[in-house]
Amino acid sequence: MPFLRKAFPYLAIAVGLASLAWAVSFNSLPPADLSFNNGDEVKTIDPAKATGQPEHRILTALFEGLLQNVPDPAGKQPNGNTPIIQAPGVAESYELSADRRTYTFHIRPGAQWSDGSPLTAADFVWSWRRLLHPETASEYAYQLNYVVGAQQYNASELKPGDQVEVELDDRPYKDVDDRTFPQGTLRRGILIRTVKPPEPQIPKGTPDKKKRELMAGWREKWAHIVEIKPPSQEKDATEISWKDKGEEFAYSQKPSPEETPCPLEIGKCKHVLVDFDSTVAIKATNAETLVVTLTNPTPYFKELVAFYPLYPVNRRCVEEFGSPGWTKPGRIVSNGAFVLQTRRIRDRIRLHKNLKYWDAEHVKLNVVDAYPVKSETTCLNMYLSGQLDWGYPVPSVVIPDLKGRPDYASAPMFTTYFYRCNVTRPPMDNVLVRRALNLAINKREIVESVTRAGQLPATSFVPPGMPGYTQPKGSIDYERDVTEARRLLGEAGYPDGKGFPKIQVLFNTQEAHRTIAEVIQSNWKNNLGIDVELRNLEWGVFLSSLTKKDYQVARSAWVADYSDPNTFLDMFVTDGPNNQTGWSNADYDKLIHDAAAEADETRRMAMLQKAEEILLSEQPILPIYSYVSNNMVKPYVKGFTANVRDDHPLQLMWIDQEEKKRFLRGEVRQP
Amino acid sequence: MKFLLRRAAWMLLTLWVVFTITFFLMRAVPGGPFSRERQLPEAARRNFEARYNLDKPLWWQYFNDLSHDARLDFGPSMSLEDYSVNEVIAEGFPVSVSLGVISLVLALTVGMTAGVISATRRNSIYDFVFMALATLGIAVPNFVLASICVMLFVFWFQLFPVAGWGSLDKLIQPALCLAAPFAAYIARLTRAGMLEVLNLDYVRTAYSKGLSTRTVIIRHALRGAILPVVSYLGPATAGILTGSLVLERMFVVPGMGTHFIESATQRDYPLAMGMVLVYTFLLLMMNAVVDFSYAVIDPRVKAE
Repeated sequence: MPFLRKAFPYLAIAVGLASLAWAVSFNSLPPADLSFNNGDEVKTIDPAKATGQPEHRILTALFEGLLQNVPDPAGKQPNGNTPIIQAPGVAESYELSADRRTYTFHIRPGAQWSDGSPLTAADFVWSWRRLLHPETASEYAYQLNYVVGAQQYNASELKPGDQVEVELDDRPYKDVDDRTFPQGTLRRGILIRTVKPPEPQIPKGTPDKKKRELMAGWREKWAHIVEIKPPSQEKDATEISWKDKGEEFAYSQKPSPEETPCPLEIGKCKHVLVDFDSTVAIKATNAETLVVTLTNPTPYFKELVAFYPLYPVNRRCVEEFGSPGWTKPGRIVSNGAFVLQTRRIRDRIRLHKNLKYWDAEHVKLNVVDAYPVKSETTCLNMYLSGQLDWGYPVPSVVIPDLKGRPDYASAPMFTTYFYRCNVTRPPMDNVLVRRALNLAINKREIVESVTRAGQLPATSFVPPGMPGYTQPKGSIDYERDVTEARRLLGEAGYPDGKGFPKIQVLFNTQEAHRTIAEVIQSNWKNNLGIDVELRNLEWGVFLSSLTKKDYQVARSAWVADYSDPNTFLDMFVTDGPNNQTGWSNADYDKLIHDAAAEADETRRMAMLQKAEEILLSEQPILPIYSYVSNNMVKPYVKGFTANVRDDHPLQLMWIDQEEKKRFLRGEVRQP
Repeated sequence: MKFLLRRAAWMLLTLWVVFTITFFLMRAVPGGPFSRERQLPEAARRNFEARYNLDKPLWWQYFNDLSHDARLDFGPSMSLEDYSVNEVIAEGFPVSVSLGVISLVLALTVGMTAGVISATRRNSIYDFVFMALATLGIAVPNFVLASICVMLFVFWFQLFPVAGWGSLDKLIQPALCLAAPFAAYIARLTRAGMLEVLNLDYVRTAYSKGLSTRTVIIRHALRGAILPVVSYLGPATAGILTGSLVLERMFVVPGMGTHFIESATQRDYPLAMGMVLVYTFLLLMMNAVVDFSYAVIDPRVKAE
């Protein structure tokens, strides 16, 4: 005891020093060529499973698709937009068939993965199969739904007569969760019929979640009777002979012979899906040619091909390490301009130049650091003090002070800020009320006094500048609008706002949203005489209220997935998952559906324009403004172009070292 | 030995209670781990639920999680999909603990020195200045202090970088801001403790024996005076652990604090549970060490 007592203070000091030594030795890395803020820690760097902007930036650096999305080198258009165009990526060229439905991509010869293995068309076939596989459960699998057969594969849709593939329950890694690949043995054949156990009786009032579970559980018990075809007698024994007679077997994901009146013994399988090789139109005709056939001519498909869900992943790597283990540094195999060197959660992601990249000689950055700083203020401070060379996002309150600076890069974006109206609840179920509310908002005041970054007040839902698309004419006269709004509200039965029930505007907790909501609240009070309550909710709770349609008016925003009005307009089809307003219009649905199938570009755009006119006249949404990007970029960072998607490929950027030296010498840090 | 065993049993019980409350509380909050702005397709939702056992009945999930967590296997993270919770903790824990320890040592050193000087030069200018600073340190929230530090030391004097972790200059600001309120409180406690001890008989005996002031204070009086400080160490650790959440965000320190906040906002159940259990364990450990150290420091206190 006495010894301990004497030693105690020294022990304490020793522990303290040890901690200090450890903290200081936290592998101080040498500085990177370019340091930028990625906005948040990425959730995953698996292209098939990622969603989100931070993931997008890392994935476009690590991987490359058939094509690349790059800012148009021709620069800004007269309307101020800098569009995104597609440049060759893994595919050095492609051809489009006369009916514009079949793409033939030519993989560049000598393309290789970062581990030196060759990159072939088969890699794309396998990666896209993985993306579509229902077990991967990718949130972006729908981006391939334009391809013939893809939707059936992804949704596990089957009907008698389909060519199917059965994956047996003999995966090499049976007991490990989440090891979809390598798959078990695939047996291919024709689906004769499906024997179903009696449908579960779902009592009224069962919550949706329980209903879904019961139905999903029932579907798993279905027994599919498949005529398994024999292997081909011709040279290539890996092929199936579809013409020859085969043997009938029954398979089910959860065999339950007592419930299912199936004449055959039911074998266990993992999945019965439409046969990928023969049904889904993604084929590698040889090592360097990939042929993809779409259901309809989809002009923006080439932009989708350059988007990260359609990036290839290395089969050997994924099958050996499984998901997500394969994404760790040291294991991950990628094909982009950069490779993953280090990843420290919430510290940084360090990328090194990929020497095996086909265009490596033009990639000028050697080491890039991506920081996951969430706080806009910290990001700005780090930029101003020199820790970051490219800072984003910046706090909106200081944007007016930053706007004049030469290092402030801004451009219009294809993103719209709008309010959703729940049309299933009065008084928002009255279209006159909604139109009145829209016209009474002083959108110019919002963009000039609140957001102040040069946003454009929105008169339509689709932001301006979509190539080939003309928006429906919008109203721009505020005085006249307010008069019209008053008249509409009176016609709806609430002259001067009398009798109008108090409604609630919902938004997720953020200062900017509150300020905008307050402006709108005062607009509606002064112009229409109605009272509105503001309510903020935490993000997760807010989203849940939207999904459950437990709101009257809610703040929303939408970022374009690709440069086509369809990405905005197909949200609001009846029961669309991103509709969430309860609004349904059969003409609108028909126009969107027909436009997707329309081959003639002009006619298609006209259909979409008509659809938007319907949307704007029925007003389930109140468009407020369209975004501009705001980035702070040091003058010695070259190759940075502000554009409509706020995409900044790292392989196009470089540091002018001379200018950097000059900048650092004359640098004065300003708070 | 019996003391230790009883203490361990209490700790386990507390951890279990914390686990249970956290488990049910997390799931009671609206919104869930797959709340997204874009709705999840059905297959994705079902696969997600299957992977994290969310489709099983609640009691099954409870016992499954309990048995796994007891074996220190916290499962895969729902929000950081490339990592398991154990990996996240393994990366963040050393950082947070080292930041906490450095702050604590800093707080103790600065606080005790200030307190002793205040006590021995009572009512002098040193006393007033130190106590005024102490009041400020307790009153000013640590993120306000952090903002002031950034303004002063990053932009005005250009001494330190804004944020980050890994080298001495990045370490100082977070450690200072974290330590400040605790140094302040410890200073006051030390001062009060010293003043009390300096009046006791054995100190007067020491002086009358002819020992120098320095010897009396450091070798004799200090031992008695630091008892209130030692008992404060328990709540101080709690404060440092929770105070570090905000500072880790502000200074982009890759510790557990950020994970803690993010796991709650993103409804990442396994990660949140892992964080809660780790923090609870640290707190309990520290309290146990503090209680045990009483017996070591003060011969009058016997461990029961």
